Amino acid sequence: MAEKIREKDIAQELEKMQYDPWLPFESKLVWGCIGLGIILLIILVWVSYTFFPSS
Amino acid sequence: MAEERKAYLNEDWLAFWLAIVLFLVSLLAYKGIDPFGWIVSTKEWLKLEKAIEPVGKKFKGVSGEITKIEGNKLTLKTKDGKEQTVTVEDPTKYQVGQMYEKKGLSGFASLVLTYLFLTVILAIGAYLLGANVGRFLIGFFFIFWLSYLCWLLGHYAYFAATDPKKYNIPWSLKLTGEGGFIFALALGLIIGNFFRPFAQFLSEACRPEFYIKTAIGLMGALLGLKSAEAFGLASAIFFRGLCAIVEAYLIYWALVYFIARRYFKFSKEWAAPLAAGISICGVSAAIAAGGAIRARPVVPIMVASLVVIFAVIELIILPFLAQIFLWKEPMVAGAWMGLAVKTDGAAFASGAITDALVRAKAEAVAGIKYEDGWILMAAATTKLFIDIFISIWAFLLAYVWCAYVECAPGEKVSIKEIWRRFPKFVLAYFVGFLVILLISAPHAPKVKAVEDEVKLINKEIQKVEKQLSTVTDPALQAQLQAKITDLKNQIKAKQEAIKDSKKVVDQTKTATSGTNALRVLFFLITFFTIGVISDFRKLWAEGIGKLAVVYVVCLFGFIIWIGLLISWIFFHGVKPPIVGTGP
Repeated sequence: MAEKIREKDIAQELEKMQYDPWLPFESKLVWGCIGLGIILLIILVWVSYTFFPSS
Repeated sequence: MAEERKAYLNEDWLAFWLAIVLFLVSLLAYKGIDPFGWIVSTKEWLKLEKAIEPVGKKFKGVSGEITKIEGNKLTLKTKDGKEQTVTVEDPTKYQVGQMYEKKGLSGFASLVLTYLFLTVILAIGAYLLGANVGRFLIGFFFIFWLSYLCWLLGHYAYFAATDPKKYNIPWSLKLTGEGGFIFALALGLIIGNFFRPFAQFLSEACRPEFYIKTAIGLMGALLGLKSAEAFGLASAIFFRGLCAIVEAYLIYWALVYFIARRYFKFSKEWAAPLAAGISICGVSAAIAAGGAIRARPVVPIMVASLVVIFAVIELIILPFLAQIFLWKEPMVAGAWMGLAVKTDGAAFASGAITDALVRAKAEAVAGIKYEDGWILMAAATTKLFIDIFISIWAFLLAYVWCAYVECAPGEKVSIKEIWRRFPKFVLAYFVGFLVILLISAPHAPKVKAVEDEVKLINKEIQKVEKQLSTVTDPALQAQLQAKITDLKNQIKAKQEAIKDSKKVVDQTKTATSGTNALRVLFFLITFFTIGVISDFRKLWAEGIGKLAVVYVVCLFGFIIWIGLLISWIFFHGVKPPIVGTGP
């Protein structure tokens, strides 16, 4: 029974979802994260291989 | 009507306390007591009576012919032709050639004691969680014995042996004993999907997240000892694991959020928990992110139900992919499990299976025997850092949402949020890890170095002995004999020099072997209960399709592969210590 109610809830909740426009801060957030990720990747790879060698 | 009682602890804190108490008790080993030596351990077997025995040496029975008496140490030749040393109080009672027998705890008694012990401590735990203790105990009875049956079956030589010749059998699946985890998961899935009333009957004791958190808390001590023996490697794994998850957080979350918002038109309220759930750490991340952005509770709960199902699918598939394609890069395989498989239970579990499968393949194909536990350590390290970072990520999201989306009047994002969401079981892992590391770091490297040297000298002795057997010239014979004596004296001197350190390391091994045996059992129960709670019908539930599509697209489209790439970048070339080479 609980299972059925939950299934119904999912459908209803998803239907209730309203249009939510993409805001400028989201672009900054997404591309900021990815950009930071790429910059940190270069730095962290260098630090790992320089200061924490595998053997 | 289910009994409703007050909970004194949540699963996270309970796992912390349980692991800490067991760890503290294990430290009695430094007082010469083996407090968990009677816990059951399981060996590969062809004859069932040889499958189970207590984990501690003091509790095992031993019998054989005395071949040497040195001080109060007797060297025995056991029935299977192996040499074994026992320490006796009065060696004058014995003579070379006599039979020696010491009765120990039987394997079956050890198994029953283990079950009773787990039942008692978990019943207390269930009480503190506010669970129905009676229902918990009944459920746990079936969970323990069915899981153990799978574990025993998994150790059958035809399934487990990496070298079938050792057992004189024509073939083996070479799954190692950890194949028992896979059997437990399979049986759990069968029960969860085809015997639902029985699964419901077991539900009070089906708490895989609690079991795995306790297991991880217990694992810290063992990894502390391993790290003391190979500190450079351990620090490299820790740092690189940390780097890998920083990358995963930044890239995974942003990409999933972007796809969910732009292409699947989810609202911010849905996209943020969904991105956290799919990309980071499943259930807890979805709930933390949902809380951080003030989403309604129903949102992360729905995401979480999907996460659990897909984590099991990953658990079934990824370790086998790792065995096929990554056996030459074992640590990449381990880190990949930590990064790609969501939920703690499934991630640590997949790390354990990958550890077994990759080592088995490396031994079978290249004859390389890697030390066990390091691949799991790579998976566990990345996963633990992920868990820790959830709290920081939730704090950052809360800050961004408050600054750019909506903030209630007077609302401030407090740094206390980080502690509130911090996974407490991780502390048990670090306490065990650091205590054992600090105790054994001054001793373990010395002992390991000497043991390695002794191995080399022993090889040299064998070579000279072989040479001696072919030589007929008495002068040369005397020369070779002198060389052997000299080499044996070298071994004695080296062993004498590290006597005190060896004692500390042996005590540490006693302490960690007992908790490790318990850790394995908690892992086993986790596998079984993950299977039982994974009801695949949820995938066909009305309305979940859109969520499931985003999940499938993101998970199999790039999360798994970016996780693999990041693991490769940080872990390729890092190899576990080699403990032997095959024929």
